[in-house]
Amino acid sequence: MHKDNGKLDRREFLKQSALTAVAFGAGLNATRVYASTKRRLSAGAANKVIVIGIDGMDPGLSERMMGQGLLPNFNRLRQAGGYTKLGTSIPPQSPVAWSNFINGAGPGTHGIFDFIHRDPQKQCAPFFSIAETVPGQGYWEMGDHKIQLDFWPFGHKLPQTLLRRQGTPFWDYLDQAGIWSHFYDLPADYPPSASKYGHHRCLSGLGTPDMLGGYGTYQHFAEDGPIRTRDEGGGRRSVIFFENHTSKPPLKLIGPTNNFLIRPEPTTIEFLVHRDLQARSAVIEIQGQKILLRQGQWSRWIKLDFDLSKPALDKHVSGICRFYLQEVAPNFRLYVSPINTDPSNPATKITEPPTFIKDISKELGLFYTTGFQEDHKALSNKVFSDAEYAAQAGMVLQERLNLLQYAMKHYDDGLLFFYFSSTDLQAHMFWWDSNEKHPTRSAAQAKHYFNHIKKLYQKLDAVVGDILNRYGDKATVFVMSDHGFANFKRQFNLNTWLRQNGYIQPAQATSVLADVDWSRTRAYGLGINGLYLNLKGRERDGIVAPGSQREELLQTLVSQLEAVRDTNGQRVIRKVHRADKVYSGQATALAPDLIVGYCRGYRASWDTCLGGMTDEILLDNDSAWSADHCADVSEVPGVLFSNKPIAARAPALVDMAPSILTEFGLNIPDSMVGKSVFKT
Amino acid sequence: MNLLAQIITWINGLTNTLGKFLLTPPIAGLSGWLSNTIISALLGPLLLIFFKYISNQSAIQRARDDMKAHMLALKLFKDSFSVTLRAPWGLFQGALRLLFHSIRPLLIMLVPVSLLLAQMGLWYQYRPLKPGEYTVVTMNLNGNSDSPWPAVTMKSTPAVELTTGPVRIFSQRQVCWEIKARQNSAEPLIFQVGDQEVEKELAIGDGFMRVSTDRPGGQWWDIFWHPAEKPFSDDSAVQSISIVYPERLSWTSGTDYWVLYFFVASLISALIFKPFLKVKI
Repeated sequence: MHKDNGKLDRREFLKQSALTAVAFGAGLNATRVYASTKRRLSAGAANKVIVIGIDGMDPGLSERMMGQGLLPNFNRLRQAGGYTKLGTSIPPQSPVAWSNFINGAGPGTHGIFDFIHRDPQKQCAPFFSIAETVPGQGYWEMGDHKIQLDFWPFGHKLPQTLLRRQGTPFWDYLDQAGIWSHFYDLPADYPPSASKYGHHRCLSGLGTPDMLGGYGTYQHFAEDGPIRTRDEGGGRRSVIFFENHTSKPPLKLIGPTNNFLIRPEPTTIEFLVHRDLQARSAVIEIQGQKILLRQGQWSRWIKLDFDLSKPALDKHVSGICRFYLQEVAPNFRLYVSPINTDPSNPATKITEPPTFIKDISKELGLFYTTGFQEDHKALSNKVFSDAEYAAQAGMVLQERLNLLQYAMKHYDDGLLFFYFSSTDLQAHMFWWDSNEKHPTRSAAQAKHYFNHIKKLYQKLDAVVGDILNRYGDKATVFVMSDHGFANFKRQFNLNTWLRQNGYIQPAQATSVLADVDWSRTRAYGLGINGLYLNLKGRERDGIVAPGSQREELLQTLVSQLEAVRDTNGQRVIRKVHRADKVYSGQATALAPDLIVGYCRGYRASWDTCLGGMTDEILLDNDSAWSADHCADVSEVPGVLFSNKPIAARAPALVDMAPSILTEFGLNIPDSMVGKSVFKT
Repeated sequence: MNLLAQIITWINGLTNTLGKFLLTPPIAGLSGWLSNTIISALLGPLLLIFFKYISNQSAIQRARDDMKAHMLALKLFKDSFSVTLRAPWGLFQGALRLLFHSIRPLLIMLVPVSLLLAQMGLWYQYRPLKPGEYTVVTMNLNGNSDSPWPAVTMKSTPAVELTTGPVRIFSQRQVCWEIKARQNSAEPLIFQVGDQEVEKELAIGDGFMRVSTDRPGGQWWDIFWHPAEKPFSDDSAVQSISIVYPERLSWTSGTDYWVLYFFVASLISALIFKPFLKVKI
């Protein structure tokens, strides 16, 4: 979310953090070769387990719609005993939740506690929690370029992107047992973890960057755009001038950064736009291709070639984008989607094995490959209208449905996991389950777009119906979500609260990343739900002594935070969890000390995520991002449906991996804390 | 249209007739690699024979004999300083003479070979559209930026669906359409440009069809390399019409690679037949 005050918000931070996840070092190293796409049968019993992950599917709305007969297929499962709420993670953020799913255990085992972590040695320097890019080491200079030779005797190290998630993912046990697993759009698995035995295929989902290294950067050209190109959270805007109805000077599309340069800089592609006012259409000329668009029309995926040439090496990478002609006159506006990795010729590894993506592309052509496919930033930044965002999200869903057809066509046995992001990223923008005033829409519009979410649930109900018809009597089918959803009406600025209560000094401090006096600051907030003590021996400038001082401070903070009330007396924070009570495992080094669980309707403020402070502790959310799930674990459970009766009374995400392994007749490893949902 | 363009247009009429007659059976009826191999295998010896009769074989033989003599001298009199100095010079002169005697026949052969390549390119360089595929049609109009724009329309046909257009590019005096192929067809697209009706060939189908990307204007170079359709006259309101076709993916008969394969295969074939045909090259 772009903020006028110039501070970064969560998504902007994520984008910038993911710039560190410039993927191309990692992908270029990919050497595993996948033999073929022939169908395979798993070793041992040919069991089938299908898991459909529907991000953010909410139990409250689902139950209401089932009661109204609007979700007949889900209701069929419920009536057969195959429905329950599914406990989410602490905190209920997608990377944390899906990592719980993957490990069958909590964050203490996988080390993902928030979208954003901090480096205590650098005194709360934030970074992206799921992946990190390790810079290369050593090179030869050749003019403006650097030459890296990663073999003997040179021994240079190429940059590479590493998955930070720790622990053993449950598919490794399937892999070892010779049971095939197929994952499509798996969250929190970028870059995809390698398969040791070759029985695992995975297309990375949430967390996969676009070719600019972020979570998706659109490019927008308009006659009323800024004279100097302006970056805004998740996008960039430029002005377009016309001479004789042709853009002049030519426009520049920004591509991936050329890291072969000693001073890396982005690649660019020049292109021309010709407009025809009478036809209300335009022609885009780019790299020898002509694209004709009427006003309001989207192009198909266009392949782009980015030149990363260096001395004695002709190096190109391929990307794909779509153009959307929003308006021809009076204000010409052209949207260009984030430049996605070309699935037919990927420059980076986004699947395991690396050739899996090419196999898919041979049948399906080109499609979105970034983790965040619905361009919510374009809506938040008012590049898209609500209707345009809904249309773009609809195209994404159609691509996913095509991918699902591919997945089922190539599925014989073993595990099939398929993920839908639509319910999450559309709910963030369109969910409004209340008669209260919506942050940006009229009551009628809010109702209209909430109905859009309901229709989306109905579409997915039909998808589940189709899967049940095909596999209902042959496979164990799970339909699950990682969390539910809630309105996001009020923002709580944790750091402002800490400052006002004397935990952050000085009293005029504006950001924990800028002007905090660490010699007098005892606690700070970073990320969406995390609160950290400035602990001596852990933080670089820590002052809180471990032991009784720490214990006393934690108890005080918990009791004070849980007592916070809004101006109308409403409770703001449902529960503050102590990490030492709720997390266990070998990967707790970066865990926050406290996890703030908000009540429905509340969430950490946009500024809180990166340590910013505002004048007020509680303020209205004025963003199009009007719903969220980063609340308390008890407030936003997910759903679990199955075609087998669920026996567990209060199953949670950590029970899913044990349930899947048990269905294949495998033992539950000691590293997992969950148990099968089919057992009491 | 200048004289050269008119001559090439006339020649194109001839080569189109020959090309359709000679190339259609092998290319349309066989797989790409096989047809290109057969054509190359036949063309190699044919070109060799052609070379034999348009080159000065006795002069070539003399140049080769001289070169052999100098090489022999080098071998026999390697202890002689003067021979060691003179023989390489003689070899170099012989090579130059060989080149000189080859240039004229090669230049003469360039014309028929280029005409043949232009005909073969119609088959191999691009593939026809498949039903369901989209493409862009671009019409270049005569005149300058101040000239009035004629009314331009594309007539509807069952074979294609007009999806976008016409869209005018004022700075380039172009009119563009996006079309979607609906069914296999070799029927042309028909345009109404003012009071003039013009046509452009269109190929929709599977396998191999003659694919003409451009109907050219009066430039001899364009007419030479786009031989399939009659060029527009200089006074026509339309300067040219082009259609973007998909590239054909094949190492032996695909876009660009087919030429490489043709030269390699015909060269191998020529070398195999050379001893039998007694050609000096």
